[in-house]
Amino acid sequence: MKMWLLRTCAASLCLTAGAAQAVEGITINGFLTAGATYGDARPLGNLGENRTVSQDGNITNRVGFTNDSRMGLQISAKVNPKIDVTGQLLARGSSDDFNMKADWAFVTYHVNEPLALRMGKVKLTTFLISDYIEVGFAYPWIRPPQEVYSSNPISTINGVDMLLRFNVGDAVFLFQPYFGQSKGAEALMPQEAIPAYNFFFDPDLPPGTVLNVGFTADHMVGVNTSFGTDAFSVRGGWLTTQVGAPLFGVVDDDVKFASAGFTVDWMNIVMYSEYFRRIIDGGANLAFPNQKGFYGTLGYRIGKFLPHVTYADLRDYNDPVGPFGDVPLIQKSITAGFRYELGSGAALKVEAQQVQPEDGTRGLLIADPNGAFSSDPDDKVMIYSLAVDVVF
Amino acid sequence: MKILPLLASLVLATVSAVANAGLAIIAHPSNPTTGITADEAARVYLGKTRTLSSGTQVTAVDQGAGAARDKFYKSVVQMDDRAVKTHWSKLLFTGKARPPQELGGDEAVKEFVSRNPDAIGYVDGKVLDRSVKVLLIVP
Repeated sequence: MKMWLLRTCAASLCLTAGAAQAVEGITINGFLTAGATYGDARPLGNLGENRTVSQDGNITNRVGFTNDSRMGLQISAKVNPKIDVTGQLLARGSSDDFNMKADWAFVTYHVNEPLALRMGKVKLTTFLISDYIEVGFAYPWIRPPQEVYSSNPISTINGVDMLLRFNVGDAVFLFQPYFGQSKGAEALMPQEAIPAYNFFFDPDLPPGTVLNVGFTADHMVGVNTSFGTDAFSVRGGWLTTQVGAPLFGVVDDDVKFASAGFTVDWMNIVMYSEYFRRIIDGGANLAFPNQKGFYGTLGYRIGKFLPHVTYADLRDYNDPVGPFGDVPLIQKSITAGFRYELGSGAALKVEAQQVQPEDGTRGLLIADPNGAFSSDPDDKVMIYSLAVDVVF
Repeated sequence: MKILPLLASLVLATVSAVANAGLAIIAHPSNPTTGITADEAARVYLGKTRTLSSGTQVTAVDQGAGAARDKFYKSVVQMDDRAVKTHWSKLLFTGKARPPQELGGDEAVKEFVSRNPDAIGYVDGKVLDRSVKVLLIVP
């Protein structure tokens, strides 16, 4: 799980020198997920050459290896007893070149035992596993339920946060306010906006095109708070921000986001459940609807096996629908899968997910909104996934 | 006649109580702490605190894979390898805390603890000597 660059120092030089402090040098840790996906896309209708199934276009009706595959390297260094520096490099299978990018990089100032301040590029914690969403080994599924997790496309912010952690008996109470901004995050342009995009910019994109739109989120203010032990924990949080995508005439549209959830890992029972709601004003709302969603996961550990089932539901949140309102993306899904421990620090996961979009919408799938989905109430798409997660 | 072997074994037991006992949680001789509970040790090794109930700040050092480590996590921390790995994945890859440094085996840990006033570690009872102070015996 870890590699001590200064191990030789600890074992020989520093010891013979009688160093007073435990040596805490630079450490490198890593995690890796290798995954394969297949979408049973028959109900998608007449999309010609386009075989995409998932919202982000990474799951198709061919066996694919890009959706979940990624590798991360974390480098931490202790500058002095109060200050340490952490950086994480991440390479994704879904990016064409598998380039490494700095997912986050921040300096932590430990004011005292309960209080730490972090500044730099920090993870934006809006859900139970947002903090370690790239570390597949740390959770039961191959990917967290998209009916909830896709609602926030911003994974990191540039800014400051405060970690105030108290031990309450066996439990830890965390209060984490943050302030910052996000530049260069991308959101998927809804399929429904493609005709308008074609009209204004004339690129003649066919239905099914996956187009990411860069946007900014400024003046982001929020709080994440949690309470719990390894066996049981609850979290809640909210944030407000102003989003902008100048290309689309979106300037400082207000977004409000709230979420709550709990998780249990007690005896052999594993549970996760979360809820969110998102309200977006102005022009951004035309493409990104007000939404609410939830999921519940129940698993039971049998030795090295953890079979689990998940029900997830994404709905529109009190919104006008139609030419002057947003485009609803409503779906529910059932996922059955298992996790199997492959020795220390490695896990194999297999899942089958049945996605059912609401009549007249495509949910989070890619499809022609006027195509097969609107007419056939039984349309369902199966997504099969397999992944191996390791930490090192 | 029955008393003699009993006495003998008592004497032997006192002499070798420590040596025969499975695992010892140890600190630097200068550490003012007189003893800790298994629960307290577990909290330190899971990164939940660095301060013992005596008020002393400590830095835990761990052992690499082996019998001592297995016994420590099973009897003291009471978590299996998967749970420990998951616990640290969540803290480590969020920059919140780092797992204790792994130092190989019993001798390396004893050596390290004997030279670092703030260190605590655990070793097989067999390797104990006066260079370290015993805080808890795990039978």
